[in-house]
Amino acid sequence: MAFTIEGVTLCVPRGAIYGFLGPNGSGKTTTIRLFMGMLKADSGDITVLDRSVPRDMKAILARVGYVPERPHVYPALTVAEQVRYHASFFRLFDSGWASELRERLQLDPDRKIAQMSKGETGKLLLLLALSQRPELLVLDEPTEGLDPVVRRDVLAAVLDYVSETSATVFISSHLVHELERICDWVGVMDRGRLVAEMPMQHFKNGIKRLRVAGAPAAVADAPFTLVSRQSDNGVGSAETWTVRGWEAPMRYYFDRVGASLRDVIDLDLEESFVELLRCSRPQTKPER
Amino acid sequence: MYQPMLFIHWKQVRHVLIPFVVAAFSLPMLAVQGLGTDGSRAVSVEIYQIVSSSQLWLPLFPALAGGVGVVLALTAWNWDHKLGHVYALSLPVARWEYALLKMSAGVVLGLLPTIALWLGAHLALATITLPTGLTAYPSHLALRFFLATLMAYSFFFALGAGTIRTTLWVVGGLLALFVGSALVGDLVAAYVPALSEMSGLDLATRWLVKVGGPLQVFTGNWSLIDV
Repeated sequence: MAFTIEGVTLCVPRGAIYGFLGPNGSGKTTTIRLFMGMLKADSGDITVLDRSVPRDMKAILARVGYVPERPHVYPALTVAEQVRYHASFFRLFDSGWASELRERLQLDPDRKIAQMSKGETGKLLLLLALSQRPELLVLDEPTEGLDPVVRRDVLAAVLDYVSETSATVFISSHLVHELERICDWVGVMDRGRLVAEMPMQHFKNGIKRLRVAGAPAAVADAPFTLVSRQSDNGVGSAETWTVRGWEAPMRYYFDRVGASLRDVIDLDLEESFVELLRCSRPQTKPER
Repeated sequence: MYQPMLFIHWKQVRHVLIPFVVAAFSLPMLAVQGLGTDGSRAVSVEIYQIVSSSQLWLPLFPALAGGVGVVLALTAWNWDHKLGHVYALSLPVARWEYALLKMSAGVVLGLLPTIALWLGAHLALATITLPTGLTAYPSHLALRFFLATLMAYSFFFALGAGTIRTTLWVVGGLLALFVGSALVGDLVAAYVPALSEMSGLDLATRWLVKVGGPLQVFTGNWSLIDV
């Protein structure tokens, strides 16, 4: 499906680990390439680390570690050669730490990149990005296709770096559970639009499924956002509502409108994500 | 930055470049093989024979220089194209600076066959004795070889830097320019009596390859030995 990235206002707090969620093809990589200066936006402003994109790109890239979606390193080089090549472009590149990381991630310096597995290449990309000592780490699906052991190593290395430096991390993924464990902010992208952006805690707790009896036909002035409503078949006027921004004291609303709240069901992060996507998409009636 | 850039270009091109270096070293020796003064013949006959024999090899020099240029240019961008330029674009260098680094790395590598040719030419000339009236031009030949390499390299480097679409546009534009100048040449030939014998295509070709034309470096005098 073709779409344009439109009306995206993305705000990543400094020092946050920002999870950029979205289904495959939702525009995550394109958005990343826009703020990495690899693509030019038709309109709008992009500021990264207080500098303007694309005007100050050289200064920005010196402070950003980037792990792209697909391996982008030269296949005929060995690990050591690639590290040396990469280091020559970054003034703050920490060669000592690169060696430490290489040992920790068990990468053979003399091994050709072309002969490395996907997991090893993923580790090398992360090693290069982290050794730059970046203020911002941009990881585009860094664990895609990696086995659980390598995935754990990669995420552990990122978390160690963050705890040591307070760097900002922008990590895109469609693996919701992976981000749940490490992110404190989340942005959800779908079909080229940013459909939600909030602290992870709100995202986890704020989306609920409610079972409502005697549901009113119209929902006005509710203290929460009604995301969707669905009639429960054969149970009279009982409905299941999906709501955002829910808090326990909001029960009073149902008394006020003459309905009765039967149950509040917690959604896990994946269900919340799916609900959010479902509701953000325009509803189409099935053709007869 | 420059040294690693030179290294990776070398790493990409070395398997192809080394045969070119060997060929550049050997070609002058092949060109003078069997030549030299032979007291039994008249000097004028000998001069004629030396010059004509060595000139048999002349077409190979510009061809070799063109080949080196093309190989260097294509390998300069090969990996970046394969990787969608993502790595290059994520490096903190301006795009022009990156292209300049790559370009200059190729120029330095282009010196390798040039030096080989220069050494080979000197070695070849050391094996023969030239009759009076003939002069050897090993440095001129090496310089011309380098300039021809540079010309081919620059053109294909510029073409290789773009997308396939850009390349097609540029090549199409150049062809259109050539055809256009041929048509203009026809008009000129029709009105200038001195050029009436020539076709527009002749004039356009002449413009490309004769003095001052962009390809003149390939068609000029490639003699190692001349009067």
